[in-house]
Amino acid sequence: MVALRGEVSWFCCGSAWGPCGTAGGGACGTCRSANYQHAWPNTSDACLAITRPDACGVTGMSRRGCGFRHYTTNLCNGARVGTTIADCGPQTDLFCGERTCCGSACGSNRIIDLTPAAYSAIASLTTGLRPCSVDTV
Amino acid sequence: MNQTLDRRRLLATAALGGMVGATGLGSLAPDAAFAAEASAIEPGLPDPNFAEGRISKISGNMLLVTGSDTVLHSIRVTDGTSIWKLRPTTFDRVATGDGLYARGVRLPDGTLAADSVWVNIVNVHGHITSVGRNVLHLDHKGQRIVAHVVPQVSAAVYNGAPAVSDLSLLRVGRHVQVLGAWHPDTNEIDIATVYAAA
Repeated sequence: MVALRGEVSWFCCGSAWGPCGTAGGGACGTCRSANYQHAWPNTSDACLAITRPDACGVTGMSRRGCGFRHYTTNLCNGARVGTTIADCGPQTDLFCGERTCCGSACGSNRIIDLTPAAYSAIASLTTGLRPCSVDTV
Repeated sequence: MNQTLDRRRLLATAALGGMVGATGLGSLAPDAAFAAEASAIEPGLPDPNFAEGRISKISGNMLLVTGSDTVLHSIRVTDGTSIWKLRPTTFDRVATGDGLYARGVRLPDGTLAADSVWVNIVNVHGHITSVGRNVLHLDHKGQRIVAHVVPQVSAAVYNGAPAVSDLSLLRVGRHVQVLGAWHPDTNEIDIATVYAAA
């Protein structure tokens, strides 16, 4: 897979407190906030019908199943983390055309959501959204 | 110089008894503080340098936290720990019952020497069902959430544009992402940043 450029955010899953308490184990049933995992918009036909990255013109988003590894790089600082698919998401079409930049490093459209453990390894949770690139090696 | 590693080593040193002030580390930009070393954690597995849960007891500079999976964590806060609770804050603002995520260095005795602690932080998606004076009502996966606008704190990001304090463009029916701080044991949050599509 050619590195895909876009935006990364974070989400909670598994046993949790607060509004996250209803999140559950995600589409794969294995998602935990403290694990290095992520949500991917193209885990199945049903998933893709919800997330619709194609509606935003995002191409090159391969079909990947539960447990598949991706590596996400925060374009603001070069930090990188490896995670496995544990859920379907983000819902790319709800933020079509959204663009996040750090200086000249930009990403458009939401392509991956990381668990708090994974996101906080490459950025502060308070940032909420960062430009990123995603690859498989 | 690897600033992050140096900072974490200093924090660990501080936690072990040689207190080191954060001022000695200089100021780190948010992203710079999380740059540097590639994670050695196997994808899919838990990160031993990360903890989440609710604070069951505060003893001195230690937070005793019960993880959502019932695992118990001892988290040591040092002078160098950055604490967020809706905004950057101080240790005295942290309370029993608060939820948290923490990242730091796991010490040999199992204690986590915290580099960062995010208290009650939530990042929820939802549709706006109504807009009131300084409040948004959200439908989050069928769950009602009351999101309060906090003057001088809450900001909006419209379609990736720079954050502004004007939240008046938010409309009923729009989908938003809200980064904020939960009011423990309620369905209410305070808004730090609300992200809205164009």
